[in-house]
Amino acid sequence: MAHHDIFRLKDVTVRYGRRLALDHITTQIPCGGLVALVGPNGAGKSTLLKSLLGWLPLTAGEIRLGDHHPRHLHPRLAYLPQRAEVEWDFPITVREVVAQGRWPSLGYFRRFTETENRKVEEALHELDLVAIQHEQIRRLSGGQQQRMFLARSVAQGADIFLLDEPFNSLDLAARADLLHLLQRWLGQGRTVIAAVHDLAIARSHFSHAVLLDTRLIAAGPTAEALSDANIDLAFRSHMPVLGARP
Amino acid sequence: MTPLHPFASIDEWIEPFRHGFMLRGLASALLLSVSGALLGSILVLRRLALLGDALSHSLLPGVAVAWLLFGHGVLAMLVGALATGLLIAVASALLSRLTRLKEDAAFGAFFLVAYAAGIALVSRSGTGVDLLHFLFGNILGVGPADLALTAIATGITSMLFLLFHRGIVLEVFDPVFSRASGMHVRWFHIGFLCLAVLNLVAALQTMGVILALGLFLLPAATAYLWCDRFRTMLLAAMLTGMLGSTAGLVLSFYTGISSGPSIVLCLGAGFLISALLSPRYGVLHAVRTAWRERRAVRHTTE
Repeated sequence: MAHHDIFRLKDVTVRYGRRLALDHITTQIPCGGLVALVGPNGAGKSTLLKSLLGWLPLTAGEIRLGDHHPRHLHPRLAYLPQRAEVEWDFPITVREVVAQGRWPSLGYFRRFTETENRKVEEALHELDLVAIQHEQIRRLSGGQQQRMFLARSVAQGADIFLLDEPFNSLDLAARADLLHLLQRWLGQGRTVIAAVHDLAIARSHFSHAVLLDTRLIAAGPTAEALSDANIDLAFRSHMPVLGARP
Repeated sequence: MTPLHPFASIDEWIEPFRHGFMLRGLASALLLSVSGALLGSILVLRRLALLGDALSHSLLPGVAVAWLLFGHGVLAMLVGALATGLLIAVASALLSRLTRLKEDAAFGAFFLVAYAAGIALVSRSGTGVDLLHFLFGNILGVGPADLALTAIATGITSMLFLLFHRGIVLEVFDPVFSRASGMHVRWFHIGFLCLAVLNLVAALQTMGVILALGLFLLPAATAYLWCDRFRTMLLAAMLTGMLGSTAGLVLSFYTGISSGPSIVLCLGAGFLISALLSPRYGVLHAVRTAWRERRAVRHTTE
């Protein structure tokens, strides 16, 4: 199946002060793929996600989203926050959070119309949140909380989803649910790019992978990109060397 | 004067407000309950309560200097308070960035010094009564100009909240999404600070420097213990503030307690009752749930 590319990265370099976070990354990310970003801690997975969102000033290089710069959040792009980034005790219900997905296109002043309500309704249905839509968000399980933020992205009208370590802090059942959902989205032509810690999950469920260790090690269909040789290359410098003198 | 008891007749509740100064005090407190609920909710949700407290104390030298130079001019006090408040906020932000001190320590140090300077200024050049009025409020001092300032402060605060409601919610609830969605309120922090100072100065005559924040914080914290929606929380905080300050003013009228402490005590009673009895977030509920869980565990292991 011939994919065309949704993101094209050319020589993307990001520095935090003196520290090099991404080193001349050149690659493409296919449209309608389930793409795993893999690499050791500090390899630049989160940095790459944030660069794709257009949130980080690139030290060098450029990123194109289709034919555009992804500078301001394109309504097609959605980012799933890590748990710690949200105030869980905020007095707010599931439905209200999902409804926030409509705010970017409404701005500060335009009112919620029937159309907006319908989109919220659809997102709640798609992510199976109807029964708990009036709950305060702290009372949800980890999996439900994640589905709520995915629903907010769906309500926003996004079709490219950037997820930062979505499998962390999920129990087994919730993991299976999420994988099932991502597979379904893949079938619908949505694009998912996720920083993934668990190599087994990346290998068994993702169509494509980008292997990073500050620089690009490999990119492409999962089986090739995550070959044993490549993995070895990416993680080798991070393995403790037995018997080495300190 | 008859001592007030909880089941006093309606007449006894109304009596105090036949006096012009009490009526002005009441109007001012009711208005402040509206803006106080809005600001207080942000303080509670953003965990800024103690910072707000420090801020209110640090306004004293500005207010005192204005008072020494211009007497009880509302505008001068506002400018003085705004100047010290912002100066200390900026200075502590700078200090925490340039040295190893964290922001709370820097802010704490500055506010103590400012507070001491304020007390020194007032006690050197005024009487003990003046100092007490600054610290704890003097309902007799609420003039038409103070009332006008309060109305303006409430008006501006409510309008900004109405206009930027979505941005403010995101800024507190999910700042990453707020930035991503272009709803980021760039001047949120500094704007909030200015609004807080404006409202604190408006509350100064009734509540005093030390307790002014009570009218913001206590109703919001009380409402937070009951509500699962932001809008309901704001409305509940407003109502709590209005009820508490009315009761406090009546109490102050009959007992001679300064209006500030009297209002804070009434609000505090509501807060304590809520903290104990709130059906979802109260102490009793937490204890009962823990006890039930323990019993369930014992039941299954036996």
